[in-house]
Amino acid sequence: MDEIVETFFSVNDLLRRKFQTSLVIVSLTLSVASTLFLLTFADKLGFGVLAIAEGKLTASFSIIFSHFISFLSFLVFLVGAIIISFLVFLMTSQRIRDIGLIRAAGCPNNLVFGYFMNELFIVNFAGCALGVILGVIADIASTNLLSSLGFQIPQGSTSIWLVLFVFATFFVVGLVLGAKPILDVTKITPIKALSPTYYLGLGKVVRFKAASKSGLTLKLALRSLSRRKSATFRIVLCLTTVFILITVAVAGGIIANQTTNSWIEKAVGKDVILIAHRETCDQYKLLLSKFHESIPDAPFNYTDERYVISEYLVGNLTSISGVRKVDRRLVLSAHVKEIRGYKIDPETSATIPIGDNRETGSLVIGVNPENMVNEWFLDGRLLRDDESFESIVGDSLARKIFTMPLNQSITLSNRSFDVVGVCLDPINNGNVTYVPLKTLQNAIGATESNIVLAKIDPLANYTETLNQIRTKVITADASFEVFELNKIVNENLGFIGYLWSTIMFLPMFSLTATCSCLTGYVSLVLAEQQHEFGVLRALGAKPRALIAIVAVQSLIVLVSSYAAGVSLGIITTLLILVPEPIITSYTVIEIASWLLVALAATFIVCLYPAVKLSRKPILEIMA
Amino acid sequence: MELNKTAVSLSMLSKVYTVGDVTIEVLNDLNLKVQKGQFAVITGASGSGKTTLLNIVAAIDKPTDGSVVVFDENLNGKDEDFLADFRCSNIGFVFQSYNLVSTLTVAENVAFPMEWARKPQAQIAKQVAELLRLVGLERRGDHFPFQLSGGEQQRVAFARALANDPQLLLVDEPTGNLDTKTSQVIVDILRKLQDDGKTAIIMTHDEQVLDLAKQRLRLESGKLVEQNG
Repeated sequence: MDEIVETFFSVNDLLRRKFQTSLVIVSLTLSVASTLFLLTFADKLGFGVLAIAEGKLTASFSIIFSHFISFLSFLVFLVGAIIISFLVFLMTSQRIRDIGLIRAAGCPNNLVFGYFMNELFIVNFAGCALGVILGVIADIASTNLLSSLGFQIPQGSTSIWLVLFVFATFFVVGLVLGAKPILDVTKITPIKALSPTYYLGLGKVVRFKAASKSGLTLKLALRSLSRRKSATFRIVLCLTTVFILITVAVAGGIIANQTTNSWIEKAVGKDVILIAHRETCDQYKLLLSKFHESIPDAPFNYTDERYVISEYLVGNLTSISGVRKVDRRLVLSAHVKEIRGYKIDPETSATIPIGDNRETGSLVIGVNPENMVNEWFLDGRLLRDDESFESIVGDSLARKIFTMPLNQSITLSNRSFDVVGVCLDPINNGNVTYVPLKTLQNAIGATESNIVLAKIDPLANYTETLNQIRTKVITADASFEVFELNKIVNENLGFIGYLWSTIMFLPMFSLTATCSCLTGYVSLVLAEQQHEFGVLRALGAKPRALIAIVAVQSLIVLVSSYAAGVSLGIITTLLILVPEPIITSYTVIEIASWLLVALAATFIVCLYPAVKLSRKPILEIMA
Repeated sequence: MELNKTAVSLSMLSKVYTVGDVTIEVLNDLNLKVQKGQFAVITGASGSGKTTLLNIVAAIDKPTDGSVVVFDENLNGKDEDFLADFRCSNIGFVFQSYNLVSTLTVAENVAFPMEWARKPQAQIAKQVAELLRLVGLERRGDHFPFQLSGGEQQRVAFARALANDPQLLLVDEPTGNLDTKTSQVIVDILRKLQDDGKTAIIMTHDEQVLDLAKQRLRLESGKLVEQNG
């Protein structure tokens, strides 16, 4: 019987306070919906990127994309949990006075607790349930919209497990955190609960005073923030997490995009011309295009005598004034095998074996370290000289058959090469081994090379030099071809750009979701201060004075959260997400502009409920 | 000559509220004239529309019909910014429930209407000190409203209402929530304001306050009825 009474009281009470109840339910719904939507979208994006990148990219590129999406998903979840816990805390905090009143009227503690826990349960359940429904609808709608715009987003249905997980987690978080203020207030005397000293937190008088000369707007805003310390701290915490999310998404996305672009550009080289027999040329193009296109492996005889580059041709190319470097290479397909390495345990001085004896097919390229036209993003060091038994392996090969490549060696044509570096190279999806040219030639009994890369001097006339190269090559052998590698670099960059542009929907949606959650929060905060705003209006404050107070209040909270969030976000991005990031002054300007747009957007959204409130009749504000 | 001028003129004033299907006529073709320097005291049963009438005179609420002229200014149809300025400069409002701003100190509560009127800081500080002395709270300036008793909060509300030296005071049940002794303090303040030549419309049931009135009225069925003191 008691339970029925409790439920009736709760339902009637919620219905009596229609505006406040709907406000909390709408805010909760938006928070749950946006979190679920972002998680499902990130999930699909992760699968989408994997599907798009299947058989393409290199291992390290795929890892950066998946780390990025996973980290953003984690932050999205964290932001959702913080916003929801904050909303329920705010909701129950606003009922402290009512709880005090009911207790003062003689209602026993357990019944009061039951009434308000029922209310919390109903509101929390409604918010979470509506939230997951809205989140699924938003997911389906956005997936269809983006697909119709040409983006490759998987069309599958939303994961029921993810929906249940979000619902259950947020429901429990809401109940636990919402119950705390109710429980706290049932432990104190009714008179204390009725006192503004307690329910507004005014008892902890902070002798914080704005300078006497500061304007009334600033004074009211500062006082309101400093005297509602708990609420202010919570919103700063909440917004800081939001700004970390936005910073990681925006700055991380931009930096990662530029860094990965730079890796590709450097690995292939800028203004590099490929000279080889027509068939070798086509094969080399295919190997480089594997980064952005799924191309099945086909057998190719790299050692065919027709493909050999003559010394005469190399000499002709070297004599062109606009050519800065001529990089002769011997490209092969070979079987490579991992050799176990050893390391010394620093504590026991025992020798610990590393790796196994795994083997695989790999593209093998002999290069002269002194004449190389490209640079890599490299873990380790470059090859020392043309005759050493050293090697640099591509990142995909390193992950495929090595445990700690820099402590291991590789076998090729029955010769052992120390692995001195792991490079990021798009050729053959990173399944590549670079060794010194002469050592390779000695190992396979060859004396020539089968491709030449010529780097055009940036100071020279590009077209003129290219024409000179073409003339020299055709004159030497008509079956040879000249190809500008810039074309493939651009295709590879376009592919990376496409992947990032798809992923960048995540921060955009995060910002939109954050703004909608913040609108709910500001509405709740305004509801708390509404009566006083009404009094100010009744005593001569113009509507814009209210907006100014909320604006200053929001700005103080936003800027402090922004400073903390952006700093932490940048540190996270640079330290965790992107190794050796490329940051130019343009990057900084681009990131700063995006983050300022995010700040401005959040600020404007924060003001919307205040603008709406200021337009209401005074008596309605005071009611 | 000055005393004969009309401070407030309400004519054919109506206010109708609609709650669901029910229409409540709070004020019905009400007429009122209050001369400058006069205290008009209005009584009436609870729910008779006293607070609604005050709200309309203060331009906090709008009438359904009729005109509101305060100090020769017809307030009908004026925009919110004009009305805010008008309230700030010409009207001092003392609410029944005090309505002090909880986050501001006593001194700041008294000062803020002057800040909106853009008075110089030095003048504001001087005026705040004078007003707090007038209401006997000169030592409570740094306290917050929750640290004051009901009577003290009411006195702060009076000081705040007088901040911009308004020509018209609107006072809603000034002693309604107070004990006899505290009520006397409020009556003394009102008497002083009357001696200073202020115009006031006061809603009350308190005999002591009624005694101040030159014009006694009773609000019945949405209309004002003259009562002889």
